[in-house]
Amino acid sequence: MPPEEHILWCSEVAKKYLDMGWTSCVGAAAAKPRLDVVIRNAINDGTIVGPRYLAASQEITVPGGLGDTTAPHLPQHEFAFGAIVSGAEEMRRCVRMFAKYGVDSIKINLSGESITGMPSEMSQFTSEEVRVCVEESKAWGKRVSAHARSSWAVKECIKQGIEVIYHASFTDAEALDMLEANKLKHHVAPGLAWLINTCHHASQWGLTPEVTRKMGYHRELEAAIESMKAMRRRGIRILPGGDYGFAWTPHGTNAKDLEYFVKFVGMSNMEALLSATAWGGPMMMMGKQIGYIREGCLADILLVDGDPLADITVLQDKDRILSVMKDGVFHREPPVGAGRPVRSGAPLNATRWN
Amino acid sequence: MAPTLFTNVNILEGTGVLPYRGSVLVEGNRIRQVGRSTSAITPAGATLIDGAGATLMPGMVEAHTHFSWNDAATLSGIQTMPLEEHVLWCAKVAKRYLHAGFTSCLGAACAKPRLDVVIRNAINNGQIPGPRYLAASQEITVPGGLGDETLPHLPFPEFSFGVNVNGAEDMRKSVRMFLKYGVDSIKINLSGDNFVPGADSHTAWMTDAEVAAAVEEVKMRGKRIIVHARSKASIQQALRHGIELIYHASFTDTETLDMMEAAKDRIFVVPGIAILYALLNESEQWGVTREIATGWGYQLEWDAALDSLSKMHKRGIRVLPGGDYGFAFTPHCQNARDLEFFVKYLGFTPMEAIRSTTLYGGQIMLRGHELGAIKEGWLADLLLVDGDPLANLSILRDPKRILAVMKDGVFAKAPTIASQRAWGQAA
Repeated sequence: MPPEEHILWCSEVAKKYLDMGWTSCVGAAAAKPRLDVVIRNAINDGTIVGPRYLAASQEITVPGGLGDTTAPHLPQHEFAFGAIVSGAEEMRRCVRMFAKYGVDSIKINLSGESITGMPSEMSQFTSEEVRVCVEESKAWGKRVSAHARSSWAVKECIKQGIEVIYHASFTDAEALDMLEANKLKHHVAPGLAWLINTCHHASQWGLTPEVTRKMGYHRELEAAIESMKAMRRRGIRILPGGDYGFAWTPHGTNAKDLEYFVKFVGMSNMEALLSATAWGGPMMMMGKQIGYIREGCLADILLVDGDPLADITVLQDKDRILSVMKDGVFHREPPVGAGRPVRSGAPLNATRWN
Repeated sequence: MAPTLFTNVNILEGTGVLPYRGSVLVEGNRIRQVGRSTSAITPAGATLIDGAGATLMPGMVEAHTHFSWNDAATLSGIQTMPLEEHVLWCAKVAKRYLHAGFTSCLGAACAKPRLDVVIRNAINNGQIPGPRYLAASQEITVPGGLGDETLPHLPFPEFSFGVNVNGAEDMRKSVRMFLKYGVDSIKINLSGDNFVPGADSHTAWMTDAEVAAAVEEVKMRGKRIIVHARSKASIQQALRHGIELIYHASFTDTETLDMMEAAKDRIFVVPGIAILYALLNESEQWGVTREIATGWGYQLEWDAALDSLSKMHKRGIRVLPGGDYGFAFTPHCQNARDLEFFVKYLGFTPMEAIRSTTLYGGQIMLRGHELGAIKEGWLADLLLVDGDPLANLSILRDPKRILAVMKDGVFAKAPTIASQRAWGQAA
């Protein structure tokens, strides 16, 4: 997609997230270098409408790794989905470039992704490259997040101080112990809907269960569910969201994750809800300013028709999310019942509708 | 979609006919009925808008639009905005034009190759709100000419506001690239501008071979050419090559005017005189005093332009409003000010000024058979205006007086339902 169309697309999607009640979003990676930064700035200066947003870099990867979509005969970096680096100094240069562009976080791909042909259990990057990525990011005050499906990748995140761990499907006892020992330093966002929908709800895009089983996703889904259950028992923060924006995980349906947390990970409705609110504050690097209805907290508030604690799926239904307020301002105003004044004191006089 | 009935409105057709009280019924995207009765029978399910004497007129057409001009005072200030921000800027401006009452805009040139095309497409597929839009290319110019913003030590095309060409084949290649991108019109700079050192408004620099190559390519694909032509030589060059859209046209003589009159059924002149006025009178805070502007030659050009354009108007040549809004000193959406200038300086009647942005507007948008007037069967691009524009044209640039904007049968700006306005005083 050319950059001009791409930025308009992002702008439209940002509004859609806010429509659906996501008053804050943490960027996980952008498809072109500046998309996230520009959208964040445009939201903040009022040019467009969207949630509070933390802007990410592109995915940083290695030649041949997840995100290197160049072809042998088309090696130009414009063809790559991610930013491709090889060696510590290239990594440093790349991080510096994104820091210059103004991202809030640097995204690094530490493991594969089976659908791309590189199995999820496979890992990439040397520890030295990862170390330099974190060192340079911290030097600029940036957070690091990692695509980490493999056990090695998860452990590398903890060893190197990568705060945000995406996926974490495969964890061994050592990885879980390490995570538990550092549980207040990390956020885990598994993106379960991607695994579930890829395994079970993507046939119309050619991804039948047979195909995805062969890719390894069914095994990964089972492993991920076990990992998340273990993390939940150990009190590690698991957050919803992730990898919406594919045909079989449409933007705006992200609250599916909460349902899946209840259904597959064994969370109570309250736990699932808190994962999207109370833990959202630290995930947004805003502490307890958001995520609570408390005096003094920022007014990011949803008015919901129904009780999410009784039925967590009401949060997936736009009609049930009656109104969305961000930073004290209505993005979607509550509907007004028949016979009630639209604006107080304004008489309905000369212009009539019937 | 439910039909909409505007009743109790003063209908200003846009054709030159005096306004009359009546009702207008819109069904789908067309005007279905225009009547002199104010108590028309409302079709079942129709939305009834009682205008209480407000004026209903065709949506205005801006005939020389630069969405990508970003309120900077210089061309390089426009050019240095990064691509992503620039697209969002254009999207925002497009919406503002529509809300200001411009239901159609003719792109006059954009600051990066695809901006206009992308915005037109996004409007057409419903992604963003905006007027009907014809997308332009960047300005095509020659090295050292208006639009060449490269510096000797930074010769890269990305630094240039326009596209620099040298020779007929270079021109052909550039035109083909823009046609491939999907523009509706190719913009060529045939003359300079007084703020460009060494390339003032009296210049003309393109060879006939270069212009002919552009015309040939554009005609072959059924598109149009727009020229920036301030000097006499450049206007004559445009006419010789059969180019229909002439922007500025400040300097003329009897021979030039005769040539224009002979072609009056196919040419349009869009002078964009607001920028001449602004540079002379309203640009001091950006460092352009009247003295500086006069030194550059703008006083001379202002005088010449008023003379030329008045004569064109007398000879029946279509002169349309719009142009070069989007600089720091000509803010976007004040474009209807041109109508006031036309009356004050060019000898237009207010009715003629209205016609230039409505009936002639539809013609320049290539839809003269269905756009630009309130007629049965025509497209429903309509404005509901608080007051009588014929008595006071300046209300057309007051957002509060533009009560409603309808484009293609759909409200872009819906009339307030529960307004506290005193409707009875509208007319």
